[in-house]
Amino acid sequence: MVTVKINGKEITVADNTLILEAARDAGCEVPTFCYQADLMGLGSCRMCLVEIEGQKKLQPSCITPVLHGMSILTDSSTVTAARAGVLEFLLANHAMDCPVCDKAGECELQDMVYKYGPAKGAHAETKFKFHEKDYVLSPVIIKNSNRCVQCTKCVRVCREVVGVGVLGSVGRGDHQEETSFLKGLLDCDQDGNCIEVCPVGCFMRLPYRYKARQWDLKSADTVCPYCATGCRMVIEERDGVVVRARAQHGVGVNSETLCSRGRFGFDFIGNAERLTTPLVRKDGVLVPSTWEEAVAVIKENLSAFEGSRIGGVASPRLTNEELYLFQKLFREVLGSPNVDSSARWDSSGVEAFIKAAGMNEGGVSVFDCMDSDAVFIIGSQVSEENPVTDYIIRRISSGRRMNLVIASPRAMKLDSSAQTVVRHNPATEGALLKAIILTLNENKLSVSAGINAIKETKLTDCVASSGVSLEVIKRIADGLKNAESISILVGTEFLRFPEGIDGLDLLKDVCRKSLGKKLRILPLLDRCNQRGAWEMGVHPGFGTGYRAIAGRGMGTHAMLEAATRRGLDAMYVAGVDIASMYPDAGHAREALSALKFLVVQDMFLTDTTRLADVVLPSSAFAEKDGAFTNQEGRVQTIARLKNPPGKAKRDGDIIRAIGQSFERSFGPDNASLVFDEIRREAEMYKEVSLVFNNKRNIDNKLDNKEALVKASSALARGFSAWNGGAPSSEETGDYPFTLMTGNHLFHSGALSSNSASLSGLLRAAVVEISNEDADEMGVKSGSLVRVKGMTHESDMKVIVRRGSKKGVAFIAENFADTPVNRFFSRGRSGARVSITRLG
Amino acid sequence: MSEIFSKVKNEIAAVLDKYPNGRSAVMDVLRIAQEANGGHLTKEALGEIAALLDMRPVEVNAAAAFYTMYRIQKPAGRHHIWVCRNISCSLLGAEHIIAYLERALRIKTGETTADDKFTLSTAECLGSCGTAPMMQIDDDYYENLTESKIDEILAEKGLK
Ligand code: SF4
Ligand code: SF4
Ligand code: SF4
Ligand code: FES
Ligand code: FES
Repeated sequence: MVTVKINGKEITVADNTLILEAARDAGCEVPTFCYQADLMGLGSCRMCLVEIEGQKKLQPSCITPVLHGMSILTDSSTVTAARAGVLEFLLANHAMDCPVCDKAGECELQDMVYKYGPAKGAHAETKFKFHEKDYVLSPVIIKNSNRCVQCTKCVRVCREVVGVGVLGSVGRGDHQEETSFLKGLLDCDQDGNCIEVCPVGCFMRLPYRYKARQWDLKSADTVCPYCATGCRMVIEERDGVVVRARAQHGVGVNSETLCSRGRFGFDFIGNAERLTTPLVRKDGVLVPSTWEEAVAVIKENLSAFEGSRIGGVASPRLTNEELYLFQKLFREVLGSPNVDSSARWDSSGVEAFIKAAGMNEGGVSVFDCMDSDAVFIIGSQVSEENPVTDYIIRRISSGRRMNLVIASPRAMKLDSSAQTVVRHNPATEGALLKAIILTLNENKLSVSAGINAIKETKLTDCVASSGVSLEVIKRIADGLKNAESISILVGTEFLRFPEGIDGLDLLKDVCRKSLGKKLRILPLLDRCNQRGAWEMGVHPGFGTGYRAIAGRGMGTHAMLEAATRRGLDAMYVAGVDIASMYPDAGHAREALSALKFLVVQDMFLTDTTRLADVVLPSSAFAEKDGAFTNQEGRVQTIARLKNPPGKAKRDGDIIRAIGQSFERSFGPDNASLVFDEIRREAEMYKEVSLVFNNKRNIDNKLDNKEALVKASSALARGFSAWNGGAPSSEETGDYPFTLMTGNHLFHSGALSSNSASLSGLLRAAVVEISNEDADEMGVKSGSLVRVKGMTHESDMKVIVRRGSKKGVAFIAENFADTPVNRFFSRGRSGARVSITRLG
Repeated sequence: MSEIFSKVKNEIAAVLDKYPNGRSAVMDVLRIAQEANGGHLTKEALGEIAALLDMRPVEVNAAAAFYTMYRIQKPAGRHHIWVCRNISCSLLGAEHIIAYLERALRIKTGETTADDKFTLSTAECLGSCGTAPMMQIDDDYYENLTESKIDEILAEKGLK
């Protein structure tokens, strides 16, 4: 610790604290342009100059650490004069076009000149201009360099945090322009973090261009509705239309960053295709109706069936309160145990996953994980499924020594941060993990039951099926052995291919019990409230808070099976497009059509709503209050910004209305009362704080631990393990590729396909293959190919990904024109395909 | 690899040997590529250099744009004239020399004559203050300039 004086006031701070931070801690304001807490220090703008007594020259406080006994002045007359001078120079070439600048009103340069600037500039020279007109850098980014203050935050965030590095400082002195390669269109992640960090109106959102002034906007604090990273953001509307989403520095796990889906994908809310009125099928056609009629039809039809012959699937994008009510409606009102929250994953796989990942042990902070000696990411395409988690990992791993291992068949952006990159065969996570365990076991770990279970398993078999060399497996095992604390980040591949889960479960036991490591497991999930959906009990195997339930119900998979056998009469689907998400499109469609009665609640007409007897128009996240639980188990509230369009209703209100048509007292009545009930029902949620923590907290900057769910002791009965066998060995001869699926950086699920901005970034499905395969086939990114599976074939463009595993093909989920699930059969999200070059 | 690059492959390999990693060789490689391409760098060349040195294209772009002697995407004339405009030369009439050259060549500073023979640029101090005003054409210095001297030099270089 060192003690320094700032403006006469003594303050004690940690060694190596920057003068700037010390001054801010002491409550003294120091203006900055180029400084940003999470970026490499630069010290170029000179806005932060301070006077250190005894030193003749002013010093940039953002890169100068405090020394014991320093006496620092932050607003002496020399400092004030210097600031005014810096601003005068920044304005020398500045465009001064505030009246037509999107940033006006929230521009740091405006504010700074207002506060510290000279009243008059002395420069008489003609201003230098980079260009006449603003230029477009991508479908979502437009640039005006004439307003630049050359802080290079855009360049640094793109390189250091996003890890893309497509921006540079081109030119020199006052001709230095922060821009793309030859000012060309950006082929990048399109996340707009360059826009967010830009203090002035250089980098701007193209979709928001000339849409509003900052002071015209009404805003709400919310959480991104896409993946389960749970990025905090502010959404803003003007005249009932949401026009912007932005992140705030120092708020949420994401601080100022968002990915393309979060920053630009909100526009599905205002999509003109939104459903605005209930529809009821009459004489075979869906016709507009009233809520009273729709609810009456639902009541009448559902009353006719036995509870056990009704099934419910609710979207993991609904709020906790809505999901809680949904399962309550089924279990307590309709008397049905059949509830699930995913069309893609088998419910017993989900149960095994929750157990293996120890989700019932409470929340796990991503920042704590990044504090470990070893971080092992497996079964996740994190750079695309959870982009901001990727930023957090990149940023923290570059600043501290740790052993980062990434295992994935497909190459990803985060690979460049890893010490070891592993390319295993698709769906062989289990074999890889077992190979690691057997290697760890070489020098006889203390016997644990699990190890016995695989003692018959041969290391050579695991090595062969994973396709990873023994040497690499040894390296990973050594890394784990040498670490005191280990974090394993596990993704959705385990849910697509649950046969890998027992390997994870075992590795957890081995690390904890036999090796005595401090182990954390963080699930990486791709739907904003997937964890919440499980913890609310929207699952056929357990109740709210993972509580044991009396009879086991059917999950989506079993419901569809039952429906085709006439073993299920009705389904109520809230916000899930089963027909286009279930792995095996034909089967899903056939099953849904076989139902006697189908109610679907959605924002849009989907393949599933088209099959429904009653369609209920529902709401977007911006239209409701409630809470999401992110992948870490952080419970965060969303606030209503606007009302749903037309006669559309909030999902919670719809569920409540249906419940009340059966039982008048069904409730509770509003989100906050429902949450109180959740606290009572789920021990994990009892003490969770919903208070929105808008400040950086001192211990671990962005980590608001009060919001994490606590451990649950409710798991008396325990979870059943995955009971499905390994897939039968598939014939490979005619189909040399293994087709995988998952989210695309710009697309995930039904929301993004209704976002004009995201669709503008990528409209149609593409198939991604490795560079090795591409070279062999003589195709390049953009070439047209035919993808042929056993049940389906489709033509599309190819994208070549350098470094992916040979023989692996990838098509993202949920492109309306190329539903990848047509390639799959019965619940299995993988298939063998052949790819041939066209033309 | 493009034709131009294959031509100077050995030269590039030789400079790469002198540096600890690819990145640090960027200036030499840019110079070789520019010379091989008749005095300017194309988009393709910048891209190829980036791939070769494991850099981002925009980083190579930025490195090249920092120095006046690299020309990006702008072919230069057969002779490149650099007129010094720094303090000593300015005191002795550099401005006048520049204006005279612009008239004689019928172009503005930064431009190339229609017959692609001459490109006119200005430079900061070229280290020949004692013989100011001066200019450099290609690799040679021309010092103590006067209008008539300029006429002679230009004629010798083929100005019609
Ligand atoms: S959008 Fe992201 S990846 Fe693209 S230039 Fe901006 S910061 Fe870089
Ligand atoms: S464009 Fe914006 S962020 Fe980038 S250097 Fe200029 S002012 Fe800074
Ligand atoms: S990382 Fe996930 S939560 Fe964050 S902005 Fe992107 S999609 Fe939204
Ligand atoms: S903020 Fe310190 S020099 Fe820019
Ligand atoms: S000022 Fe012209 S050569 Fe030095």
